[in-house]
Amino acid sequence: MSAAAYEPEVRAGDSLLSVRDLVVEFGGKGRPTFRAVDGVSFDVGPGQTIGLVGESGCGKSVTSLAIMGLLPARGNKVAGSATFDGTDLLTLDQREMSDRRGRDIAMIFQDPLSSLNPVVPIGVQVAEVMQRHQGLKKAQAMQESRLLLDRVGIPDPARRLKEYPHQLSGGMRQRALIAMALACKPRLLIADEPTTALDVTIQAQILEVLRELVVDSGTALIMITHDLGVVAGLCDEVNVMYAGRIVESASRHEIFARPEHPYTHGLLGSIPRLDGTRAGALHAIPGSVADNIPWTGGCAFAPRCTNATAICREQSPALEADPTGIPDHLLRCHHPILPGTDSTHE
Amino acid sequence: MSEQTSILDKKRPDGSADILLDAQDVKVHFPIKRGVIFDRTVGYVYAVDGMTLQINRGETYGLVGESGCGKSTFGRALLRLEEPTAGTVAFDGTDLSSLKGETLRKQRRNMQMVFQDPLSSLDPRQTVEALLLEGMRAHGLTKDKTAAHARLRELLSAVGLPEAALKKYPHEFSGGQRQRIGIARALSVDPQLIVADEPVSALDVSVQAQVINLLEDVQEQFGLTYLVIAHDLAVVRHISDRVGVMYLGALVEEADADDLYAMPLHPYTRALMSAVPIPDPQVEDRRERIILAGDLPSPAAPPNGCRFHTRCPWRQETKCDTERPQLREVRIEGVPATHRVACHFAEEIQSGALQPHSVTPTIVDPDADRPRPDIVEDGAPGADPFPDARPPGV
Amino acid sequence: MNPMQRKKDRIDKLAEQAAGASADVPDAGKVADTGGVSLIASAWRRLRRNPVFLVGLAVTVLFVLIAIFAPLLAPHNGQTGYLLNQVTPNDPVPGGQDGFPLGADGQTGRDLLSRLILGSRQTLIVGVCATLAGLAGGVVLGTLAGAFGGWVDTVVMRLVDVMLSLPSLLLAISVATLFGRPSQWTLIVAISVVQVPIFARLLRGSMLAQRASDHVLAARALGVKRGPITFRHMLPNSLGPVLVQATLVLATSIIDAAALSFLGLGNPDDSSPEWGQMLGKAQDYFDVAPRLAFWPAACIVVVAFGFTLMGESLREALDPKTRR
Repeated sequence: MSAAAYEPEVRAGDSLLSVRDLVVEFGGKGRPTFRAVDGVSFDVGPGQTIGLVGESGCGKSVTSLAIMGLLPARGNKVAGSATFDGTDLLTLDQREMSDRRGRDIAMIFQDPLSSLNPVVPIGVQVAEVMQRHQGLKKAQAMQESRLLLDRVGIPDPARRLKEYPHQLSGGMRQRALIAMALACKPRLLIADEPTTALDVTIQAQILEVLRELVVDSGTALIMITHDLGVVAGLCDEVNVMYAGRIVESASRHEIFARPEHPYTHGLLGSIPRLDGTRAGALHAIPGSVADNIPWTGGCAFAPRCTNATAICREQSPALEADPTGIPDHLLRCHHPILPGTDSTHE
Repeated sequence: MSEQTSILDKKRPDGSADILLDAQDVKVHFPIKRGVIFDRTVGYVYAVDGMTLQINRGETYGLVGESGCGKSTFGRALLRLEEPTAGTVAFDGTDLSSLKGETLRKQRRNMQMVFQDPLSSLDPRQTVEALLLEGMRAHGLTKDKTAAHARLRELLSAVGLPEAALKKYPHEFSGGQRQRIGIARALSVDPQLIVADEPVSALDVSVQAQVINLLEDVQEQFGLTYLVIAHDLAVVRHISDRVGVMYLGALVEEADADDLYAMPLHPYTRALMSAVPIPDPQVEDRRERIILAGDLPSPAAPPNGCRFHTRCPWRQETKCDTERPQLREVRIEGVPATHRVACHFAEEIQSGALQPHSVTPTIVDPDADRPRPDIVEDGAPGADPFPDARPPGV
Repeated sequence: MNPMQRKKDRIDKLAEQAAGASADVPDAGKVADTGGVSLIASAWRRLRRNPVFLVGLAVTVLFVLIAIFAPLLAPHNGQTGYLLNQVTPNDPVPGGQDGFPLGADGQTGRDLLSRLILGSRQTLIVGVCATLAGLAGGVVLGTLAGAFGGWVDTVVMRLVDVMLSLPSLLLAISVATLFGRPSQWTLIVAISVVQVPIFARLLRGSMLAQRASDHVLAARALGVKRGPITFRHMLPNSLGPVLVQATLVLATSIIDAAALSFLGLGNPDDSSPEWGQMLGKAQDYFDVAPRLAFWPAACIVVVAFGFTLMGESLREALDPKTRR
């Protein structure tokens, strides 16, 4: 039951999805353009889980929607590339993309009820995906979907097949949605806050299902969440996003042991820990995202940052290797909090 | 400031605890109505079903539980915002359940509430000034204009907002700032007790800490007693002196915060605590998780006996499904008398004499507890009308 | 440290922060120093840029201006049969000519254009009065039902249901005939009675939603009395959809007024013209001069369209979901 067994080997160049310099801009006539995602790059390989972590408005969900081609048709501009198995997903047209979705790439969302068709039994919904993408006959597809529901931990799947989404509890709905996503054995699964609407005990069940999926089927998983606890137990690599950019990226052990960006550091310091001590106040990050300054000509986090100096408001920091030379630890900061120099919190 | 002295401070000279709020066997049952012309009551949602707890003056009592356990309904029943079906609530010696009309309205000044969603709990058409003055006016605290204005400034500074905020409307603030306004409003009538229902769960992670710190600051500054209702165990643990764990309308365990987290005794508390993700991969990799099977049973048809027996890995055939356990002190070494558990086999589970077994999940029909929409419309919320923990997505 | 000292320190600190505000973000984040913008004000800002609203507004304003200044704008007197001499049995309705671009209004030989312009005033009075009366009745009933709930709600709503179950035109006709002698005022009463249940139902629905809302609960928890809760919190927050409906109802009351007048239930005295009444009279000449029906009908359609455009864009602007 512990997550210790799970430590996949991922070699360099093994990447299944490679996102480069993804930019998403919203805006239309008369309205100022808003850069929701601003040059995001990351890779994910088979059997690997990467986390996109950040608070509301940091662009993590928009990133995933852009990769999936699910952004609204009008009012936005997408640039950069998202190469999946040699094909740039961003260049595909609607039909090619919708064929990919479901077959190669699947996505699950925060609110399972709005992602399921309310008037179709869940068994049929799962079977439909298989009929469409795998060309199974209906009876065969129903049989398969029963197995799938069983696999994601839905009790009494034969009965559940015939039930409608509103008859299921939140946790069961999320499982049904995962079953639908798995119906075509996708090679990449994007999970956008899949457990945020669920209770912790149910969250634990769902995370267990996702964990098994990655280990057993070698599915690549992109986990989008605001919950650093979820990331700590699940992801191999963590990308912390702030105001549309990745500000820190490292392996999970590294990032939790040595959070060097003041934002990551502040986030970790601001959440009370179940196993920590209760002494003293939490180290809150002052202000809110409303206080940001734009990335152009400065660091968006500077107004809320305890380490900020004049340069932070004048020069936009680049995403660079960690100054202490730890491999694969990337940072976007002029004044990172380096080990031993932790003087930010009195 | 150490925990020990602060608890001592709360005791009376004779050594007994100074109880501010005393709830005895509180029940809130919502009728489920069916019928086209004449509404027939076909059953009840047992949202709160026998809650007994005392809150001492000056302490923070944390009430944890998952959505649908009735914790929010209980919080409202304490404030008489929801009519309890049975039981008594005594506030500072006054029996609230017998109060009516104007006496009840006057009493409300002493007990305030902080809501989960700071936007929906602030009237969008009122300026902050109007919002803060309203409660003061209702209790005749605005007779002296200059004093009232000084009070406004004091409230704003207590919650860390500038005076410019007074002329603004709720939609012009960020989520954290709105919650500060909600706290200032609760403080405006100078209450003794504040019931905070999920005060931070709708906020961004980095802002949650600010609001938690603020709640602690104003508690010290104004000498408040808190009942903090939340689903997030880490938050509750951080802020609370004592913690009660609720499952399906009743307490299953109650203890001082540190005792509870050091040694959870009820199987549900254990499962709940093992399910909370901890932002530390080292810990996460080594943790033993108790993954509960199935879902929370419907509060419209709670299981007989121990409410948790349908999901309990330690369930015993002998009495778990027939006899409902009451909160009791346990005979385990190192467990103080303040640590009480509603489990028949707490000692055996702790000693290892009972080992967990696998559980076949029972199917739960989520519709059973859902009152008809028109009932909700009439102002009587369902079992737990506010879905827990939905931090906004992008 | 004693609480007073703490308080003082805190205020000092805040003052310091305010002084150096440009550089540092206080814990709570920045709050702009400018005055607040209410929901109404921000809705107006959005409306001002909405072309649909502007078209609706232009039509409405034009209509209201014409109605107000009708006697000055009308080229002729509405009563005098200027073209009476041209009425012949073969051609009872003299056509357009110099000075009378739309010709006569029938065998009476009065100027159609002038009567249309003068008619706008009666039409406006009927529409506005009927809507206001309906709105007032609906708000009273809806507030009663929504604020008290329980048996008051049940009684009021059953009454409203009974009114809704009758076809609206039939109800209006019954009311109009009840008065015995039809006049402009029977028209107004008849139309407003039909609107009352619609407003009442709408208001009651949003009042109930408000009653269950957090901010009303918060006010109750504060110990605010029922009156202020109803009139300061519930009613203002419930009125949005009702006011939008009122704008739309203005359009339908004008059309309803026309329908009732057409059926002969309007003001029989044609010395003060009204579009519906003119439309009703036009049926006598429909085979020889359909334009007599066309012009008042076109006026009604344009004005109703203007109100509808305004109402719809108002609805959009007040909807919190579309706000950013």
